[in-house]
Amino acid sequence: MEPFHYLLVLGACLAITAPLEWGIGARVYRRPRRLALTLVVAMTPFVVWDLVAIARGHWDFAPRYTLGIDLGGVLPLEELLFFVVIPICALLTHQAVLRLGARVWPQGRLAREARDLGAVGTPTSEAQQRVPRG
Amino acid sequence: MAEYTLLTVLAIIVVVLLDLVVVRTRLLTTLGFWLALAIVWAFQIPVDGWLTRLDAAIVCYDDRHFSGVRIFFDSPIEDFGFGFAMVLATLMVWTVSARRERSSVPDVGG
Repeated sequence: MEPFHYLLVLGACLAITAPLEWGIGARVYRRPRRLALTLVVAMTPFVVWDLVAIARGHWDFAPRYTLGIDLGGVLPLEELLFFVVIPICALLTHQAVLRLGARVWPQGRLAREARDLGAVGTPTSEAQQRVPRG
Repeated sequence: MAEYTLLTVLAIIVVVLLDLVVVRTRLLTTLGFWLALAIVWAFQIPVDGWLTRLDAAIVCYDDRHFSGVRIFFDSPIEDFGFGFAMVLATLMVWTVSARRERSSVPDVGG
């Protein structure tokens, strides 16, 4: 199991945050285009940082705990997945906080922020989503 | 200053300036951002710890390249700055895309 140590922790992160999408109703996975754009634009500088850090010897990875698939011979596959998984967890957390906040305090600050971000629809559009017309 | 420390400080300055001055997403002025960050940081403690704990480190840090301050499960303190910058950058791009969509697409739903 040791080679799976890094991959397992990433899987655990996805598993723990999954209910935020399908229980609380965060809409992150269900906006695949926006998600893909966000990952590419926001994470590219951090992947570059990672590559620089590896090249400069700031950190490296234990072969014992990784799969041994090194992209370009330097970047473990899991490390690239880290920059997919962690931002998804952050987005799900933020969206869930806004949605829950808007639900508990409909006139509150989180509700305003949620509407600004489209994390919740307007009261009318939400009601229409819940009650199918016709 | 050690290089990882320096890069972390620089990254924090850059994302803060982007959020407040350049892109003006102003997430740093929202309650939702800080609540989400607090939750992410709380989960970063065990997750990062799993990666960095010295008895079974997956990611091995060179002590010469960071402050030498390790917190919780041997995580370099810089990791939490790295996390902050990652979270803010991610939410910033998402926010820009969300606001653009809302202003360009008429809200036919109501």
